[in-house]
Formats: sequence, C-alpha cells, structure tokens
Amino acid sequence: MTDPARIPGYQLSPPTESDAVASLVRVFGAERGATIWHGACRAAMMVVGTVNSVARLERAVESLAQRGSAEAGVARSLAIRLRTYARLSAAPRRTPSGPRS
Amino acid sequence: MTNPDPIYDEERLREIVELGLLSPDVDPILREIADRAAAALGQPVSLVSVVLDEALHVAAAHGIEGMWLDETRGHPLEWSFCATSVRTRDAFVVENAATHPIHRDNPLVTQDGVRCYAGVPLISSRGYVLGNLCVVGVESHSFDEQEIGVLRDLAAEAVRRIEARRTA
Repeated sequence: MTDPARIPGYQLSPPTESDAVASLVRVFGAERGATIWHGACRAAMMVVGTVNSVARLERAVESLAQRGSAEAGVARSLAIRLRTYARLSAAPRRTPSGPRS
Repeated sequence: MTNPDPIYDEERLREIVELGLLSPDVDPILREIADRAAAALGQPVSLVSVVLDEALHVAAAHGIEGMWLDETRGHPLEWSFCATSVRTRDAFVVENAATHPIHRDNPLVTQDGVRCYAGVPLISSRGYVLGNLCVVGVESHSFDEQEIGVLRDLAAEAVRRIEARRTA
C-alpha cells in the first residue's frame, strides 16, 4: 500500500514513535531502548504509545536529547529526519545543479 | 545483545556527542578545512560529516548555501555516501553515482544531481569513525591517489582540531 505521506522522488515518510523506539533498540538493545524511551516520554509529560503527532514526537525527541551521551546522538538522528521530511515536503528546492521545484 | 554494525555502536555515538560534534555552532576551522578540500579537489561541495545511527549530520560545509541541506544540516542515513567509511574505515569513492550499483537510486542522485563523491573517514584517537571529510560534485569525476591523499591529510587536521576542543 502506498504511504500518502511519503514524499515522491525522495521516498521519505515522516518518522513515527515506532521509528524512534526501533532506533533506540538498535543502539541500546530491547530492554534499555524501551526504558530510555519511557524515560524520555515521561520527562516530556507524555505516555509511551501516545506520541502520535509530529509536535509530540518533536517534544519527546527534545527530551531524549536532554539526556545527553549516546541518547543525544539518537535524538539528533530523529531530529534531522523530522527536519528533512518537513523541509522536502514543504517547499521548492535548490539543488547542487540549480533550482528545482 | 550489542549490534555488530559500527553505525549503531553506542560508544561511537557517545564519542561523537562528547566531542561536541552536534553543536549548532559551526567551528570556523572545520569550515576552513571544508573550503580547502573543495578548492584542492575542484568540487563545488565539501562536508565535514558526522555519521549518526539514522542520519548524517553536517558539522561544517562548503558550497551548500541556499540548498535544503543548509537548512536541515543533515539527511537520512540511507542516502549517505559517508556511512560506507564508518563500516570499512577506509576511503570511499564514487566516480559516477548515476551508474553506481548502490547509489544510482539514491534521491541525492536522482533528485539533487549528485554525480561524484570522494570521502575519507574521520577516526578519533580512541579508534571510532566519527564521520567523513568528503567532496561532492555534479559531474562524474575520477579521483586519483594524490587527491585522496590531500583529503586524508585534511581529515587528519580536522580530527586534531576536533580533539583539541576536548582537551582545551
């Protein structure tokens, strides 16, 4: 099934809470990854499983970044993916070879 | 269980954070190294990249002003040419990305016109590959050993600069 939010050409979908948890699990393992996400959500005054909008994911990612250490690296990855999706889905682009709309 | 792929190495990510490579402020010396790499290899774009677990972060750059990359300061890891060097710990060169088996369908190639790439790893004194110093062009190009040698020298200079900030 085609994802309607996917940006044509770039084949990029907006990151989700599931993506965030999967990222943490890849780096920290299943148990620590889940614990870290729980802590980040709690610090952002949210409950795991309810991070269901870009704004809420941005809050959770910011909370994750505040934890520092490797968690901040994972948080920056998610922030870049959020930023890239927002930028490429929104406006005309200039490329290395010239303007592109 | 620890993920064997160095891209996801927790200690490597911690090293990146502790070295201040995610700072929003661009280090003018890293920017100057990117300028020199672009000039020396005659390519329009050069990046001091930091390879994270799911994205590439641009720590310093030459030639991206006005491009979307300048606003996002990074892009998803699956589009990254630089990730290869984290795994191989060696230079990675693409003469013509449009025909490259891995990158010919990469959006940076199909949508943004990237054609050539040469990057060398930035390896910390603790042995972690932090990212790359690379040049990127919009025309195919064969990079020779001398050009890669220039990149290696500049990459060593970049690592010295990055690590000097830790000890400062």
